[in-house]
Amino acid sequence: MATTPATIVTALGEEPIFAVGDRVRISVRYPVGHYRVPIYMRGKQGIVEKILKPAAINNEEEGFGRNAGSKRHYYRVAVPLAELWAGYAGSPQDRLLIEIFETWLERI
Amino acid sequence: MQTHDHEHDHDHEHGHQHGPNPHYQDPKNADTPPPGYYEIMEIAVRELLVEKKLITPGEIRRQIEVLDSRTPALGAKVVARAWVDPDFRSRLLANGRTACEKDFGISFYDDTELIVLENTDKVHNLIVCTLCSCYPRPVLGLPPDWYKAKPYRARAVKEPRKVLEEFGTHIPDDVEIRVSDSTAMVRYLVLPQRPAGTENLTEEQLAALVTRDAMIGVIKVENRSNP
Amino acid sequence: MSHTEDLLKRLPNDIGGLPADDIEQTDHVLLPWEKRCHALADVLDFHKIINTEEKRRGVEALGAEMVGKLTYYERWIACFAVILFQKQILTPDDLARKIAEVEARYKDTTP
Repeated sequence: MATTPATIVTALGEEPIFAVGDRVRISVRYPVGHYRVPIYMRGKQGIVEKILKPAAINNEEEGFGRNAGSKRHYYRVAVPLAELWAGYAGSPQDRLLIEIFETWLERI
Repeated sequence: MQTHDHEHDHDHEHGHQHGPNPHYQDPKNADTPPPGYYEIMEIAVRELLVEKKLITPGEIRRQIEVLDSRTPALGAKVVARAWVDPDFRSRLLANGRTACEKDFGISFYDDTELIVLENTDKVHNLIVCTLCSCYPRPVLGLPPDWYKAKPYRARAVKEPRKVLEEFGTHIPDDVEIRVSDSTAMVRYLVLPQRPAGTENLTEEQLAALVTRDAMIGVIKVENRSNP
Repeated sequence: MSHTEDLLKRLPNDIGGLPADDIEQTDHVLLPWEKRCHALADVLDFHKIINTEEKRRGVEALGAEMVGKLTYYERWIACFAVILFQKQILTPDDLARKIAEVEARYKDTTP
């Protein structure tokens, strides 16, 4: 008698939410005390270039001594420099890439 | 009574002479300037942590050796190997950390990842850390002062082409500039383009051409070898 | 009407895109104490007594004036002291007394 293989169910947050190529928006909120998303990135839209694996600790919490806890993915997100800076004088192809923790990204 | 600020433990590679120690200030040595406020704080914090057995002097000494062993010469070797060995190059670009660990025995701390950014005729890469001074220390050693100071950090993400011009580097408009701002556990190393006319150089000679600033991405590698 | 909220919302180290001067391509060989300070940071991180992110947060917490006026490693050692107090590993009195002891050691020997 054939048996059906068990289906793995991953816990919430274990799998990356976003895929390479997804358009994302960096949230607008203003933590005080410690953050790792520069203000110049808040509210900007970009494209996921790479998923950084494995899932890791939220470094904004790690700054307050939290060495463990629920891990999520960081994503390398690309944003054209012309979209970051009004009057950008370089090439329209020029881009900025930056690592952003999953909890800072929204799907658009 | 003078307190020695190193334990008499067995990994003291200088033996037990109490003359000038390259790692610790000897108060009796009239040639060394008296320590300033912050150096005194550093000595005090370190000694207190040793007294509480949270760290040992041997760990500090060892870590100084680790720091001294990391220089741009390591990164230059990695670059030169990537130039001559296509298999290494593709493994390096796929996973910088494992390629460096496997082929060069370069160790990395914590969960640091290394992403190697390939410069091509179409793309020029530049690295920065706007929030602090994240830098690929395992392969380049400690960053230069200018990398950690405000002007570079503020301007590299906003006007990279002007910044590059300040370093004497002109990138044509049809070449894309990619600026990588480090904020988490990934560190970046730029893999510069191999300059023309270097076909007959050995790997060692190629490595000698690769400078720290080329691996940060502010300059290109020049063929400075004699023809 | 307070305009000081920007002091909280933007950390003193968050300078990406702000106006800045020309780059001075300066560098210096680390002083021995600076190198020891860097080694101390790495050893503290290895033992997870003070992790690297805590150090970053600690430097930010020094505030704009100190971040602007202290040198790179001066900021580190100043923030280690405060973090060690917060974690109740050392007390301010411990450090003050040890600093006085170290100062006296050098005073005894300065010609």
